[in-house]
Amino acid sequence: MNKTDDIYYIEAVRNGNIQAFSYLVEKYQKLVYTLALKLLKKPEDAEELAQDTFIKAFQKLDTYEGKSKFSTWLYSITYNACISELRKRRIEFKLLDDRLITDQDEQKMNDYYRETKKEDQEKYLTLALEKLPEDDQVLVTLYYYENQSMDEISTITGLSVSNVKIKIHRARKRMYSLLQEMLKEEIYSLL
Amino acid sequence: MNLKDMNKLDKQFEEMMKGMKIDSPSSDFTLKVMSRIQAEAAVQKHHLLQNYQPVISKRTWIILISIFILLIIYITVSGKEPATGTDSGFWSVISGSLNQLHVKDTSTIWQKGIGLFSSVPTIAYLILGASLALWTLDSYFTHKHQTSEIQVN
Repeated sequence: MNKTDDIYYIEAVRNGNIQAFSYLVEKYQKLVYTLALKLLKKPEDAEELAQDTFIKAFQKLDTYEGKSKFSTWLYSITYNACISELRKRRIEFKLLDDRLITDQDEQKMNDYYRETKKEDQEKYLTLALEKLPEDDQVLVTLYYYENQSMDEISTITGLSVSNVKIKIHRARKRMYSLLQEMLKEEIYSLL
Repeated sequence: MNLKDMNKLDKQFEEMMKGMKIDSPSSDFTLKVMSRIQAEAAVQKHHLLQNYQPVISKRTWIILISIFILLIIYITVSGKEPATGTDSGFWSVISGSLNQLHVKDTSTIWQKGIGLFSSVPTIAYLILGASLALWTLDSYFTHKHQTSEIQVN
């Protein structure tokens, strides 16, 4: 166990070194906040929920058994808190429309995307991601950005692994489809 | 589409997503969280202190005092003569000392009262005295512990 392992800091906190928890806060605050923002939309709500998540994690640290990654456990607290908050507000997720792209077009789109300027890539990618249903944004971020496995995402969200797989596949296709629409508009505007 | 294509498309998409910037909370986020955690830890310690159980519980106190009162009532009702100066015991010593001083205002009621208490066996006073000493120590250590916790935080 070295100082880069989460468990080193978890054990330190359990042994009474409260300050060791700040390492975990520093390490995971961006992803916790990003997930909360994707679901709740308002930055101030996301910030508050992210804070509450860390407090809850601190309070429940003794119940963390280490069977899953600490990040999986933490994101699961975040996700469940967001879902509870949305239920309180009676807000439902957007629905994913069925306009999906073919695999061939997906490949073409990826090639075209690579040729786009770096600053535009980020802009379009963020726009496309924001157009996905909120829960799909979370799945895509966890799988492709945070490298959480399908099983881990299933643990976080409470969805079955097969459902996670289908949702991620459809979300990816939908994102390519949205990128295609946006980049087409770009091409037309240039012409 | 075969599995290899699927993996390739996934890998390409992953590379795309890795280039995306993720959102950041406020710059003092860690400080805010840690302040709340410090406060939370202090509250947890306070709860532990609130759960502190004294050596003699309220129930035991009630039983002890009831026994003592019952003993006094028993002695009063049984009509036992108040003790004389020759009796042993704490109250008889005091009574004897008062008589020696020839205190003029010592009324009959007072003498009867002294006599009544002198009839109570010395062991009862010892139990009551020991219990009071324990209660005082309990109070002292609880107060001292609370003060040190506040200083630490």
